[in-house]
Amino acid sequence: MAKAKPEAPKPRNSGAAPTKQANELQSYLDNHRKVFRSTWQSQSRSPLASLFTCSVIGIALVLPVLLALLLSNLQAVNLGWDGSAQITLFFEDNIDQQTAQDWSKQLEKRANIAAVEFIDKDRALAEFSAAMEMSTTLDYLDGNPLPHSVLVTPHASLKSLADLQALEQQLAQYDLIASSMLDVLWLQRLQALAAFMERSVWLIATMLALAVILILGNTIRLAIESRREEIIVLKLVGGTNAFVCRPFLYMGCFFGLGGSLIAILLSQVIIALLNAPIRALAQSYQSQYELSGLGFESTLFVLVTGLVLGWLGAWLAVRRHLTEIEPN
Amino acid sequence: MIQFTNVDKRYEDGHDALKQVSFSLSRGEMAFLTGHSGAGKSTLLKLIMLMERATKGQIVVGGQNLARIPARQIPYFRRHIGVVFQNHRLLFDRTIFDNVALPLEVAGANPRDIGKRVRAALDKVGLLSKEKLTPIQLSGGEQQRVGIARAVINKPPVLLADEPTGNLDPELSGEIMRLFEQFNQVGVTVLIASHDLALIHDMRHRVIELDQGRIQERPAMETPHG
Repeated sequence: MAKAKPEAPKPRNSGAAPTKQANELQSYLDNHRKVFRSTWQSQSRSPLASLFTCSVIGIALVLPVLLALLLSNLQAVNLGWDGSAQITLFFEDNIDQQTAQDWSKQLEKRANIAAVEFIDKDRALAEFSAAMEMSTTLDYLDGNPLPHSVLVTPHASLKSLADLQALEQQLAQYDLIASSMLDVLWLQRLQALAAFMERSVWLIATMLALAVILILGNTIRLAIESRREEIIVLKLVGGTNAFVCRPFLYMGCFFGLGGSLIAILLSQVIIALLNAPIRALAQSYQSQYELSGLGFESTLFVLVTGLVLGWLGAWLAVRRHLTEIEPN
Repeated sequence: MIQFTNVDKRYEDGHDALKQVSFSLSRGEMAFLTGHSGAGKSTLLKLIMLMERATKGQIVVGGQNLARIPARQIPYFRRHIGVVFQNHRLLFDRTIFDNVALPLEVAGANPRDIGKRVRAALDKVGLLSKEKLTPIQLSGGEQQRVGIARAVINKPPVLLADEPTGNLDPELSGEIMRLFEQFNQVGVTVLIASHDLALIHDMRHRVIELDQGRIQERPAMETPHG
């Protein structure tokens, strides 16, 4: 008759007790190593199919990677505006040239100002008429309508728009200044563009990350389907869900990692291809500029992202489909 | 070791596979489960290894009430039950060695022990020389012996078999059954579902007959079929 011996189905401690945990750990690691090897082997048995899957992931990943690269290059331009922002201060009409000139000289002593260029009203008129080629028209004016002005170049340590605007405000407050102009419109536009691009990058990256997860989820689903019999046998002999899942999670990570490798490679190739025309463009502005590729940290980030997305896609597929496969 | 008390099993489609089944099998006992196909033999075995849950009644295996085993504990429970299937359920992309080692790997056995234990099990079923082959290279009888080696590799206290000789000729069937007897002799509780009445009659073990989901137990010697 059945004896209600509670210990009967409990795990047998067949090994020596003190080393049991060490054994289990070793066996666990051994299983991981085995699964890793067999995943690698099964993928290299069908290299073309694996390459296709990785390429799909890679192409999906390369777009946000490229956009992010362009963005960081744009932000580098932003930071390196290099003193090209200038503040123009216009004096009140009643200020005579000497006072204005003296005051301007004083400005130059300030720490946050790099250079000061005084422009008296006659020079301003001459430059204006030369630039506009309308000297004859201006001849009809009685007197010079232009005020004296001073061109202030801020110190290079003032990099942000906010700093520059603060300086402009400060200078405009003087009684002898009628108005001021900060020539940073292009900087503002660039910043707005960068903000727009940053958001675009994130949105596109999110969409494509979802696409990667779905693609991998589907690939893993097919793999699960093709190994249905194996899964059933494993479950029958007492394989836990974690054990049965492991090869598929490895497969997802493998595809994700392969995909991000391809994305990194593609982005470097594309940057190299873009750099030739960009150098030509920069040269036409008497400037030297080229796009920088992925740095070490960004490369690592892309690899980890690919890995995580791959794992996530596999995990979703496994959770959805593996639990459905039960022996019967 | 195995105790059924008023067990009902009704499938979702409304089919009553088992009705009021009560029996018990002591530790170290060997019994045959017979009946026409559709009588509920497979269902009964599935209940024991928690491939299905009973609709009503109580099943106790090795002192554990199966109704109280949550789904996530099922794998650990199954490691203490060896099962042999009619269609072997071997993995054809792996070697005989790897097939037999599967339950050990799944249970996280010490990798150094695995080789030793797999060879011992293969030796027991007479297939030691074939460990490197794949199942496709073996005959039906040999495949079934691999299935048996896999079922006993964990030294389970309970061994179940569902039509283990279903695809074999009488001579091979006899060999397979004697193998089960050997495991029974070392203390394993064995329950074999089979409709091979001639073979069962020769073996002179307890027979539990199922008829349309109900138990019709009779002593081993009275089996009328010849």
